[in-house]
Amino acid sequence: MYADYAYLIVALPVLAFLLCLFVGWHLPRGGGFLTVLATFAGLILSLGIFSEIYPNEIIHQSMPWFANFNVGILIDPLALVMLLMVTFVVTLIHTYANGYMNGDPGAARYFAEAALFTASMLGLIYADNLLQLFIFWELVGLCSYLLIGFWYRKPSAAAAAKKAFLTTRVGDVLFLAGIILLYNNLASLNLTLAPGEYLLQFPVIYAHVAQIPADQLTLIALGLLGGAVGKSGQFPLHVWLPDAMEGPTTVSAMIHAATMVTAGVYLVARMFPLFYAAPYGLTAVAAVGAFTALFAATMGLTAFDIKRVLAFSTVSQLGFMMAGLGVGAAVGTFAVGVSIFHLIGHSFFKALLFLGAGSVIHAVNTNDMREMGGVGKYMKWTMYTMLIGSLSLAGFPLFTGFFSKDEIIVIAYEYGVMINFLPYIMLVLAAVLTAIYTFRMWFSVFTGKERSDYGKHESPMIMIGPLVILAVFAFGFGFAAQEDFYSYLDSNFEHYDVDFAQLGIIGGHVLEGHAAPEGAALEEEQGAPEVAESGHGAAGEGEEGGEGEAGEPWYIQILPIIVAIGGILLAGLFYFDKIKKFDPSQVTGDKDPIRKLLLKGYYQHEILTGWFAETVVYGTALICNMIDIKLVDGWLNWLSAWVLGFAQHIRKVQTGVVQNYVTALVLGVVVLVVVITLAMEVGLV
Amino acid sequence: MEFSHYAPLWGEALLTFLAVLVVLLGSLMKNSGKLMGYLSAAGLVVALGLVASNLTIKPALFFFDTISVDALSQFFKVVFLVVSLLVVIASLSRYTGKGAEEYYALLLFATVGMMVVSSSIDIVTLFVGFELASLSTYAMAAFDKSKKNLEAAMKYFIFGSVASAFMLFGLSLLYGMTGSTHLADIAAASLANFGPATLVALLFVIVGFGFKMALVPFHMWAPDTYEGAPPLVSALLAAGSKKMGFVAAFRVIIIALVALRMEWYMAFAILATVTMTLGNLAACWQNNVRRILAYSSIAQAGYIAIAFVVVGAAYGAAPVNVLNLGLVPADQLGIAGALLLILGHALMKTGAFIGTAQVSSMVSKGSETDPDDISNYAGLAKRAPITAFCMLIFMFALAGIPPTAGYIGKFVLFSSAIYSGLVWLAVIAILNSALSLVYYLRIISYMYLKEPAGPKMAEQKGYVVALVLTLLAVVWIGVFPDAFINWAMQAAAVLLPQ
Repeated sequence: MYADYAYLIVALPVLAFLLCLFVGWHLPRGGGFLTVLATFAGLILSLGIFSEIYPNEIIHQSMPWFANFNVGILIDPLALVMLLMVTFVVTLIHTYANGYMNGDPGAARYFAEAALFTASMLGLIYADNLLQLFIFWELVGLCSYLLIGFWYRKPSAAAAAKKAFLTTRVGDVLFLAGIILLYNNLASLNLTLAPGEYLLQFPVIYAHVAQIPADQLTLIALGLLGGAVGKSGQFPLHVWLPDAMEGPTTVSAMIHAATMVTAGVYLVARMFPLFYAAPYGLTAVAAVGAFTALFAATMGLTAFDIKRVLAFSTVSQLGFMMAGLGVGAAVGTFAVGVSIFHLIGHSFFKALLFLGAGSVIHAVNTNDMREMGGVGKYMKWTMYTMLIGSLSLAGFPLFTGFFSKDEIIVIAYEYGVMINFLPYIMLVLAAVLTAIYTFRMWFSVFTGKERSDYGKHESPMIMIGPLVILAVFAFGFGFAAQEDFYSYLDSNFEHYDVDFAQLGIIGGHVLEGHAAPEGAALEEEQGAPEVAESGHGAAGEGEEGGEGEAGEPWYIQILPIIVAIGGILLAGLFYFDKIKKFDPSQVTGDKDPIRKLLLKGYYQHEILTGWFAETVVYGTALICNMIDIKLVDGWLNWLSAWVLGFAQHIRKVQTGVVQNYVTALVLGVVVLVVVITLAMEVGLV
Repeated sequence: MEFSHYAPLWGEALLTFLAVLVVLLGSLMKNSGKLMGYLSAAGLVVALGLVASNLTIKPALFFFDTISVDALSQFFKVVFLVVSLLVVIASLSRYTGKGAEEYYALLLFATVGMMVVSSSIDIVTLFVGFELASLSTYAMAAFDKSKKNLEAAMKYFIFGSVASAFMLFGLSLLYGMTGSTHLADIAAASLANFGPATLVALLFVIVGFGFKMALVPFHMWAPDTYEGAPPLVSALLAAGSKKMGFVAAFRVIIIALVALRMEWYMAFAILATVTMTLGNLAACWQNNVRRILAYSSIAQAGYIAIAFVVVGAAYGAAPVNVLNLGLVPADQLGIAGALLLILGHALMKTGAFIGTAQVSSMVSKGSETDPDDISNYAGLAKRAPITAFCMLIFMFALAGIPPTAGYIGKFVLFSSAIYSGLVWLAVIAILNSALSLVYYLRIISYMYLKEPAGPKMAEQKGYVVALVLTLLAVVWIGVFPDAFINWAMQAAAVLLPQ
């Protein structure tokens, strides 16, 4: 019954968007309650659908659109968990925003854009074909642009919005190229599709991936990965995400932490069979993800802007998710469950941290942690909820992040045993750094003595409420849901006609454990790493991968815990003590080269913007510009001047004298008679 | 012969009756203008329902085989009725006072005339319907009785009379040569034996229809009349009566004069190219928005005329494989494309002209400046946001930007040109579409980028309703084109041998 109303999940926020846009300014708080209600209704519907189809069914509705394309709704386990997460987190953030944006003159515009964003994100999640997904993907990008630049009179916000839009555009072009390649390849198979089936529908893609040539698959996978890298802020297209913090904090929480940036990860998960079949597809995903995880974590160590710390942390955690999918080369579809579990968990604690940061900024009126200190005395609720978020992010035992992030590290170990240890090493290092930068932030904001004169009050309850709810999830979700979640997500691709054994052969990760059930059984019995090394290790089948935990040596199991606690202790050692006698002048005059390197973000700005963009690109652009102005434009200007000049003359034909008009008519007939007669004589026609 | 035998023609009957009734009641009752408007709107809705209930019927013949109700006639009747209905809805904000009943009666008579033309398969019936529509619109063009109105109507009338004379001469030549007024009989007679006179007959007929279609060089009345007539009448002329020229030309030229295929292929290749190019070029320099729209509608007529060239080139050729339509003949695809563009253009132009009516109603009465001058559109987005937004979409649609009705029509039509080997024509048409952006974007930039020319104004309800309905239709066709493409394909099949 709820399934019949699945379309409302997108339709209601669209309605809220229209209402807020057109009549928002007549409503209290810019009509924010409409946005909250629409999203909340989506949550109720998603829950209803969950209760109907869990655990064995999927929903697929579709109607023809035009030519070879359709519009449709596909709710399988993967889409359903995303729907639940997005509607839940976004409802809380919209609620919080009702407090946060109160009094802003653009509140109606904010809630309209936020509602449109919600609709686009939800539409992206349950699209049943790649084209529809892409359309919503672009809408999400547009909303992100609008919301980052929400305070458009602030030059830095306008610049950040532009940067985000242009950077993600690079990825989107690759994504589109990937879609076109995929479409062409599928079309050239000359498939006979059943009524109601369309080429770019996911079930059709899954069923026919194996028939596409392997080299084409790699190209398609790299194209799609390009889109994912742009949207999810992976290296080297991550540069826009820290700057995106120029928007209101609720935007950072909603778009740049919990939901939109996960779209890239979701895309890779959604197209997992294709990535699995594409040689080097998952390797590329693992490499990008692991490197980003480490790279961004190091930059998180030195940032002073509390939102930038969280932004770098988001980039890093998205790297974890990507890496988690990438190591699926070793563990098969189990990786999807692990990665998406981290995605969901992360969205809880990262939304919590951002909203907490927003709460602090709301009171203190600065983003700079050097001007905070001792805030905990005045904001008890914020402090403790953020402590839970921080512990979760750091992966402290029994918190959500512990269950989700550490599982990625464990399967990365299996990947290491099978293929390459590099991702594993990077992820472990990144995990240490995560714990350090998280607690560096927490200690320097909430402990110590006040370093500037700021507003000392707790935020209103409408803002605290969502924090508390999110804190509950940031703590308990991992513990409560892990096993069911893995098995539910693992069943995702069983609903489709897709043979992972065959795809694995194309993709070049033929696992003996896969082909021979005895091998897998052997592994379970012995549970020893030697078996893994001999190639049986992480059989592609999910359940086996799940059991694979038992197959790791104890120190691999324990390591993440040590890493997390060790990191927190290190942070305490470095910062907690220092903060008590903190002198801001010392920091700004820092001469330590490594620290300077990190603070400058590896001179990315200098390299990417200063050297690459301003010297290489700008230089090339100048040359192109010269050619363009002199040759192309010159010719075009000449042409358009000629055309418009000609048009001037044509205008004069219209004299306004009706006799002339009739003369033209008669002349026209005469000319036609002559021309046609001549043409027929000559035999032109 | 039972009453129900004529069921497919109830729409026309109803509107004729209603038109007479409106005149009678209007002269008996005082201040009945508004009531007559609502009555006309209701009549048009019912007629639309009656036509829609027989949307794709097998050809049914009436009145000694002079009237045929078939998929093609129904397609055009829907176009005419929708346009008239939108114009009436908008008129409810303008024509309510004394004498308004005459306006509505004339509009209904014009609609009936256009509907008769779309069903005619006999040149006499066709001519009568043609003149009924023309005479009614001549009077409407002068309806506000301003000096400009009268000049516009006068030019329209003189030019129209000359064109009618040409057409009548051409039709009588055809009758003289074949001995029949029935289109199928004319087609069956071996016209080719009559030598040069056939070419003259063909061209004279083309002049008559070309006048309504506003093909260059028979277009010269159009800019002056569209500019000078009351804006809502311009909407009816550009969106409705212009399309009557097309349906008449489709029937007479493609069915009756099929023997002269090579001649009209040549003639329309020239006319289409010249029309779209000159229309677009002339539009670039205009400062009067209604003149811009007039030239844009001339250019659109040029695009639509491509269908004749396609049919001439691909008549009876082997079917081609087209997207999800499967194997279809290119000539049928060409006509379907033209029909889609006709439908789309009818909607977009009605909307655009209603938009100009809205704007000129906002210009203060005593103002010396031209109420349609583009400077009055400055900052329209702030002054009249709904009108500005609708105009924005109509401009995009006219330029052929997806997902709008304008895009679908152009897409199907231009692809049919490519499928039938007329790549050069498709290239010219596409270049012309690009050129047309010059003046469409100019209007948009005035509406959205310039500082407002005056304070925010109340938008008149009738206009807003008509604008929003048109907008929805334009976008709906663009987003879900499949049903419309299939419908147009069925209508197109009527013109071609099975």
